[in-house]
Amino acid sequence: MATRNRTPLYRKYRDALRSVRVPTVSSSYANGGPSSSVEMAAASLLKNPSYVPLSTEDPTNSSAHTVIGLPPAWVDLSEEITVNIQNAKRKMVELSKVHERALMPSFGDGKEEHHAIEELTLEITNLLKRSEKRLMKLASNVPSEDSSVRKNVQRSLASDLQNLSMEFRKRQNNYLKRLRQLKEGQDGAPDFGIDLNATRTASHEDGEDEFEDVGFNDHQMSQLKKSEEFTREREKEISQVVESVNELAQIMKDLSILVIDQGTIVDRIDYNIQNVASTVEEGYKQLQKAERTQKKGGMVMCATVLVIMCFVMLVLLVLKEIIF
Amino acid sequence: MTLVSVVRDYIDRMLQDISGMKVLILDPLTVSIVSVVYSQSDLLKKEVFLVETVDNMSKESMSHLKAVYFLRPSSDNIQKLRRQLAAPRFAEYHLFFSNILKIPQIQVLADSDEQEVVKQVQEFYADFCAIDPYHFTLNINANHVYMLPTVADPHSSQIFCDRTVDGIAAVFLALKKRPVIRYQRTSDIAKRIAQETAKLMYEQESGLFDFRRTENSPLLLVIDRRDDPVTPLLNQWTYQAMVHELIGIEDNKVDLRNIGKVPKDQQEVVLSSVQDDFFKANMYENFGDLGMNIKRMVDDFQQIAKSNQHIQTIEDMAKFVNNYPEYRRMHGNVSKHVTLVTEMSRIVDERKLMLVSQTEQDLACNSGQAAALEVVSNLLNNESVSDIDRLRLILLYALRYEKDSPVHLMQLCNKLSRTAKYKPGLVQFLLKQAGVDKRTGDLYGNRDLLNIARNMARGLKGAENVYTQHQPLLLQTMESIMKGRLRDVDYPLVGNHFQQGRPQEVVIFIVGGTTYEEARTVALHNAANPGTRFFLGGSVVLNSKRFLKDLEEVQRISKSTSV
Repeated sequence: MATRNRTPLYRKYRDALRSVRVPTVSSSYANGGPSSSVEMAAASLLKNPSYVPLSTEDPTNSSAHTVIGLPPAWVDLSEEITVNIQNAKRKMVELSKVHERALMPSFGDGKEEHHAIEELTLEITNLLKRSEKRLMKLASNVPSEDSSVRKNVQRSLASDLQNLSMEFRKRQNNYLKRLRQLKEGQDGAPDFGIDLNATRTASHEDGEDEFEDVGFNDHQMSQLKKSEEFTREREKEISQVVESVNELAQIMKDLSILVIDQGTIVDRIDYNIQNVASTVEEGYKQLQKAERTQKKGGMVMCATVLVIMCFVMLVLLVLKEIIF
Repeated sequence: MTLVSVVRDYIDRMLQDISGMKVLILDPLTVSIVSVVYSQSDLLKKEVFLVETVDNMSKESMSHLKAVYFLRPSSDNIQKLRRQLAAPRFAEYHLFFSNILKIPQIQVLADSDEQEVVKQVQEFYADFCAIDPYHFTLNINANHVYMLPTVADPHSSQIFCDRTVDGIAAVFLALKKRPVIRYQRTSDIAKRIAQETAKLMYEQESGLFDFRRTENSPLLLVIDRRDDPVTPLLNQWTYQAMVHELIGIEDNKVDLRNIGKVPKDQQEVVLSSVQDDFFKANMYENFGDLGMNIKRMVDDFQQIAKSNQHIQTIEDMAKFVNNYPEYRRMHGNVSKHVTLVTEMSRIVDERKLMLVSQTEQDLACNSGQAAALEVVSNLLNNESVSDIDRLRLILLYALRYEKDSPVHLMQLCNKLSRTAKYKPGLVQFLLKQAGVDKRTGDLYGNRDLLNIARNMARGLKGAENVYTQHQPLLLQTMESIMKGRLRDVDYPLVGNHFQQGRPQEVVIFIVGGTTYEEARTVALHNAANPGTRFFLGGSVVLNSKRFLKDLEEVQRISKSTSV
């Protein structure tokens, strides 16, 4: 695809025209320059209290000064959310590594791994929940152009967040599944052990029955206790993971309202342009209507009625004095 | 490399090198150009958080945003841009124009850029609306101008020609080719457009168009709509063409608000072959096959919906929540297609289109004047046939049998004059514009001995589907080009161009508008013959309503100028 860059030619003309323009501008610059920039800053401060424009000007420099504005406050919010999402992504990578280690067969009881998993899972869930709350705050009610930008930023972050949550839950589900498989495997081992013992008792029947029975019972009891402990721990873990799954499901439901359905009319640029134009118009009309009703409003009526009543009472009082 | 992918690449390149939050500013024409290939979510991924039009600008200053302008280089836009550069609202300005800038325009912009906020000025030649991979349109409003002689309204004719030449040039710049140009001899406007395009490509901006020469030179063929007036008048039975004919598609959007009772979220829908897989697979299917495929899709969807209702374990719940976005999208898609097909079925029943269309196809494809006369008379007497359908039948009859029996034609016209919508003299006017004397191509296949034989063979074989037996004249033209047998006498070359070998890339531009039936022919032909690629473009995309509107408009103008 062919393109043509006209910037060099454009710059050439701009420089040429600037040098032609300068003599007329610099004289008014000394007088009008600084004050006009201050005016501009003051005016914009009055209009948009959330903006903090700085103006840098250089009276000695003949080139035009630029007004650099600081971005509005909500941009910080969106950046915070972006940073959170990055952190969450990093932690998820860590988490999958720990998952792998925990699922590998090991001699130790793997307590540190479970602990690490719990911690990481909690952290990630918290990050996602916090991001979602901040995201909800990003919306604004004033129909202005700025609000369109905010809404679009919100949408974009919402779809990122949704994808991340889905990924996280998929990984948790995988881990859960494999954990369950492992648990069944381990439960099988003590059972197998008990069976073995049972067959052995069957073979040693005469004489030392009772003693051996008691012995096996003890052995069996300790095995049972151990497997019970195992099961309880596993249950706890699983229920924790399930809880976080449910929490994330809730987040996803909230987010899916914000995310655009791809391929539908809402995803079309021309449809959104029309809509913005009509909602801004609508908003303006509503404001006008509100102004009108306020003017006509009940308060004014009440106040006037009261004042009239006061006057009437005063007149009556005076009359009473005169007559009596 | 298709038209859609080329325009997408242009937009990608515009946005990729600029970091930070951006605002995209378009003019009413570039809004269409961008909307058909780029979605809102694509823009969000590129950090474009606001889209505005250049006329509808407020004074709110947003200096944390960088502005990307994508406009047509019209004098109107340059003036608006001037004012905005003099009082800049954004931190940086990146200007992209969809066609060639003139030097004075660059100077005007440079002059108004006192604050030096403009960081780049580029020409990115996406000046056409790429509605399908091999089909583009220019969406020209005053399309009827092509039927007027230049002297009637020289100013409008010039605007029309300029826009067309700009659009065609942009297509070739996007494809990086410089073609050999041929035009239809009998059409003045086609000749004019061909010559002006040649001047632009070979003289005025020859450096810009100086691309690597290939063995087989590409071809641009400029033809006139009036050479095939039958195709836009026919009723259509393949999905995309049918939706446009019965309801109307604009920039791949269908507006169902005035049609009937539709659910609220289906009032405006998008039919894009690039975004919708079901549509891509079915856009050229006839109505019967389409119905079957939709039924299959609905059944599949109902299966999934049923399984979603049986949620018993936490696992099921998790799975449901996981698959919810996918499920919702599928639901929307199924709704959309079902709504469209339902509406179209209703319209077909209401207007008795199956009956009418059979006659239309016979008029277009088979001969037999007496039989045709009888059937048409019967249909005209039938009260349930709507006015516009009656008009179309007569126009088709007139185009075919204009020389055979003028008396009968007069009788039919008299019958028509009872209807309110008919503007008297329209039939004669159409014959004057597009009658057999004015046409170059062999529309009914009865001039050339070979064509007559081919027609007879086809008639004997019988049509697979009587409703889709019509093949537009364009197919014959394409086949002639492929075989290298396009007659020089009918389609001469411009100037001293020379066609090297057989062209492998051909752009056919129909002045006056294309139809979706022709776009279908081109797409199917491209799929069957991968050696040669055809691109089709026009000033608008026609359906019978639009074609008749243009015709009536020109008739009104000629009446007023002659009186």
